[in-house]
Amino acid sequence: MDLLWQTAVNATYAASYMALIAVGLVMIFGVMGVINFAHGELYMLGAYCVVFLYAQETFPFLLAVAAGLVFVGFVGVIMERTMFRPLRDNPLGGLIASIGFLLILQTLAVFGFGRRMGHVPPSTQGKIEMFGAVLTYQRLFVVVAAILLLAALWVFLKRSKFGRALRACAQDAEAASLQGISMNQTARVAMFIGAALAGVAGALTAPLVSPTPYIGHSIIVTAFIIIIVGGVGSLEGAVIAAVIYAFVHTFVTTFFDGVIANIVGLALMLAVLVTRPTGLFGARERA
Amino acid sequence: MLRKSLDKKISRRKFLGTTAASGTALAAMGGGLSRVAFADSDTIKIGFLAPLTGPVSAWGKPGLDGCLIWADWVNAKGGVNVGGKSYNIEFVGYDNEYDAAKAKAGATKLIKEDGVKFIMMLGGDTWPGVEKIAEREGMLFSTLLPSDLSPDSTTLVAPCEVHPIYNVTGVEWLAENKPDLKTAVMCAQDDSLGKPSVATYLAAFEAAGIEMIDDPLFFDPTTTDFAPVMTKLLAGNPDILCLDTCYADYVHPLCEQAFQQGYKGQIISCTADFYQNIIEKTSAEFMEGFIFQFPDFDDPALNSEGVNFVNPNEFYTEYAKRYGASQWGAVSWEYASIMDLWADAASRAGSAEPAAVLEAMKAGGTGKHAFGTADWWGTELFGIDNALVGDWPVVVIEGGKATIKEFRSIPAWWDKHKDLMIKHMTALDQMWNQRG
Repeated sequence: MDLLWQTAVNATYAASYMALIAVGLVMIFGVMGVINFAHGELYMLGAYCVVFLYAQETFPFLLAVAAGLVFVGFVGVIMERTMFRPLRDNPLGGLIASIGFLLILQTLAVFGFGRRMGHVPPSTQGKIEMFGAVLTYQRLFVVVAAILLLAALWVFLKRSKFGRALRACAQDAEAASLQGISMNQTARVAMFIGAALAGVAGALTAPLVSPTPYIGHSIIVTAFIIIIVGGVGSLEGAVIAAVIYAFVHTFVTTFFDGVIANIVGLALMLAVLVTRPTGLFGARERA
Repeated sequence: MLRKSLDKKISRRKFLGTTAASGTALAAMGGGLSRVAFADSDTIKIGFLAPLTGPVSAWGKPGLDGCLIWADWVNAKGGVNVGGKSYNIEFVGYDNEYDAAKAKAGATKLIKEDGVKFIMMLGGDTWPGVEKIAEREGMLFSTLLPSDLSPDSTTLVAPCEVHPIYNVTGVEWLAENKPDLKTAVMCAQDDSLGKPSVATYLAAFEAAGIEMIDDPLFFDPTTTDFAPVMTKLLAGNPDILCLDTCYADYVHPLCEQAFQQGYKGQIISCTADFYQNIIEKTSAEFMEGFIFQFPDFDDPALNSEGVNFVNPNEFYTEYAKRYGASQWGAVSWEYASIMDLWADAASRAGSAEPAAVLEAMKAGGTGKHAFGTADWWGTELFGIDNALVGDWPVVVIEGGKATIKEFRSIPAWWDKHKDLMIKHMTALDQMWNQRG
């Protein structure tokens, strides 16, 4: 096993699922201005879709993942309609509501699946060996899905009419409304996309982690570090920061240890805040 | 592209501030789930103060489940005889979520509101929250982690599990039965459960002549991706992969990673809770020979004469019937076995009052441990003889099933190698007089 290559492969996988989660969080924040603290629980919900459909009901893995994506996306739509829209004029209202909602989701997961970790057998034990490093198909699914989904999102935002409407709302909701763009509709779509990205990340990684009702806690902390480093509100920044954070964290874990890696990850965030308070991409875009 | 929402809706400064504040609030949120018991005068209440939710719940909830079986069996036979009168036993559970502050709140509630006579805990990070209450109230507490013991905590006993000291028996058995294995690596979560166990394994490996290739790798308890951890561990091609006392949530992905990254060597671990799931994630061949310390109680070896646990095979059958065999874990029987000791001591004392029970429990310096008669021990390691230490089983997965290979004496190992244990415990600041 080549240590450097294996570490790079590990980091690539980590960057993939972190990017999916962070981009979803940025999407929600960018369009609606809501800090969605329940984003980690949307990841958890996606994981439990796979626990239920694939591990318990023996549906095909990819079908369970697709169902997780759609289901969590619709949960996001419900959140938008019932919580974030009524609180649109209260920036902190959405945040507080999302904290309440995350506790509800955790409790529902406990009721539905118990407190212990969910067991998800791997959908395949196949693997690729290259340059002395091992990449399992299970992890490869995550990498490929992240690339495809993020590329599709980029095309959607840059090339489609509705994508431009989303960007317009993010830049100036009032001006966008005056141009006939429905804020409600864009918020609904943004919430669906943001939640679905978290859900699909949870669904894809469910066989690789130990899903518990509380797994969202550690996920949301990492996601916040990434979007702060990338520049709050920047999708490109979130992707780049996810890659940087994943590589730094993975290499430090491998060559030092996991505790130091966490310290380095937080130090990275602090360094960015001190030197570029708007994040790596926030300042450049603002100029 | 979406950055202008910062200016329009919420400032970056406000975002960072509220994020931090909300995170703090979240951390402080939650609380123990209590189950209030309404008992009459013929009932003695026992507190169960352990993690029933969260990543450490595998070492709390299955124990409460086992206690409920114990209570049903004992109560069906008329209860516990104390001072010539029979009392039913009722457990009052409190979920401390493995958090010291919640453990403190739970202990206060159990003592002040519920009037329990004895409180069983997992211990570890939660004990510091309870220590002062125990001292003030004189309440009898038990822990599964004798590293909580100190001369300042005279009412705390470790009457069942002598974690992590029993881990020496697994290493000793491994060295005797697989003498070709000479190098090892180890990882553990960075907490009060992981560190004393690391010290114990280091002492046991040194005593067995097994060389550590690298320093023990500590990882943060919030870790979810174990690929980098395993990559580092396997970089030196070790003969033995030691998973220390990692929680079940970590043992499973660690094993899966070892399997996926092509490891074919020996694995030793303190626990292998729900090991059937690990086999499903890896393979029976990969898990063959996996050494750990916690038997399934349907093991016929537990019917041997020296074992004091009452009807172990029947207990396992009932547990599997109620909760499912796959839910059997390391602690499923442990809290129930502590109750055997407590009930015996209360009967002999003729009182359920904590001080009287403690005195009866320790009378004569020996006690009926689940795996045989054992000594109250621990002054050199814990500063107080409040750990009941004797034999402990070495368990190996064979043909996909946990099998007791042998019962080994912890005191016998201690007599030969105690200097090594004290050396490594001291190096990691785990001696009783070093812990803060």
